[in-house]
Amino acid sequence: MEHLNQLFVEAGTLMFAGMVFVFTFLGLMIVFINVVLKRLAIKFPDAVIQTRSARTNQKTKQNVDGVSPNVVAAITSAVTQYRKQHNQPSSTHKTK
Amino acid sequence: MDSLNKLWLSTGLANFESGQVIMMIVGCLLLYLAIARNFEPLLLLPMGFGAILTNIPLAGFSEVGGLLHFIYYAGIDTGIFPLIIFMGVGAMTDFGALIANPKTLLLGAAAQFGIFATLFGAIALNAIPGIEFTLKDASAIAIIGGADGPTAIFLASKLAPELLGAIAVAAYSYMALVPIIQPPIMRALTTEDERKIEMAQLRPVTKIEKIVFPLGVLMMTIFFLPSATPLVGMFCLGNLMRECGVVDRLSSTAQNELINITTIFLGLGVGSKLSAEAFLNIETLGILGLGAVAFSIGTASGVLMAKLMNKLSSTPINPLIGAAGVSAVPMAARVANKVGLEANPHNFLLMHAMGPNVAGVLGSAVAAGILLALVG
Repeated sequence: MEHLNQLFVEAGTLMFAGMVFVFTFLGLMIVFINVVLKRLAIKFPDAVIQTRSARTNQKTKQNVDGVSPNVVAAITSAVTQYRKQHNQPSSTHKTK
Repeated sequence: MDSLNKLWLSTGLANFESGQVIMMIVGCLLLYLAIARNFEPLLLLPMGFGAILTNIPLAGFSEVGGLLHFIYYAGIDTGIFPLIIFMGVGAMTDFGALIANPKTLLLGAAAQFGIFATLFGAIALNAIPGIEFTLKDASAIAIIGGADGPTAIFLASKLAPELLGAIAVAAYSYMALVPIIQPPIMRALTTEDERKIEMAQLRPVTKIEKIVFPLGVLMMTIFFLPSATPLVGMFCLGNLMRECGVVDRLSSTAQNELINITTIFLGLGVGSKLSAEAFLNIETLGILGLGAVAFSIGTASGVLMAKLMNKLSSTPINPLIGAAGVSAVPMAARVANKVGLEANPHNFLLMHAMGPNVAGVLGSAVAAGILLALVG
């Protein structure tokens, strides 16, 4: 019985030390992610994100000129499609 | 007549012992669970077949010089097979959800309470006549609560090799039973409103973060818990191969061919430990019972921790994702998603639950390292 009690005490110590250590270790990992990884992410963004921001820059630049490139692209494709469907020369459209 | 007698004595029928027959039935039961019920088939199938092979009279599969003997001593006794599998698991793991929401690491930590609480249960079982678990045995049994097969096999092979068969069977059986064990506990500990909580969308994670993460985890393990570096180191190697993008062939091999080959041998090696004298005793029943307790406590502590975090955090946290902290990737995350969908059909928790899920893998490896350092 005494031996069993001793084992319980050892198990209790192990449980306390184990849980404290697991929380501390994984807590440090949170700090690592928040401090190191987030800064790295800001300093070295993914290529895809760069392309996106480049597109956004372009967009804002042309927006300042007055016409968004998306609008131009949409109009161009709509006009091309319309011409294909109706098989009409571009001059007619212009006259209209 | 003499030769006929000799021939009869060389047959299996004349040499069968009742224990061997029972263990062959256990082997067939594992095959049934794998094939008919789809319970962790990748491991239970070779394990069940290994149990049949090892109990064949006169064949000597597990005796010195036998095939299973070599497989066991080459791969499991040395700890090589579980570590190779851990590398493959690392190569299959995407830490994106965890990096995007690092708070979920606390859920992975809380769920490890199942491991440490089960230590008490294992020691308490010593009160039953016929059961005598040392602290090493209790630690090896308790790791079942980590719901991580390779970790359980690795720790059992180091701390209590004689209990390895029962521990591996319990660990994989309960991992397969996650969809049955977890939902009632999750529902009992949460309200309908809590289960309906929708979580904010995760931020995109950059490539550099994913590359540096395994290196950082390895560094921290080297500094604070070197006894866990075999598990964590192989896990991080696999993950780095996946994320760096320059060794796709190695990453593909680690997560396909290599892990598959190792799984076959690991299953057979564990099956070789399912001999009648090692398995058919009251201690096995105790291990199977404790495994269920460990799983349940781990699930409950994960959910309770998530409830607490939801109360304290500025962003909402659905307590169901806490249950995924027991690891059992990706089954536990799927269960959290499914229970969440039952409460709110528009609530997809899968990606949110993957965070605590992979945190649980790290947590159980850390817990195994602590047990090795303090008890081993």
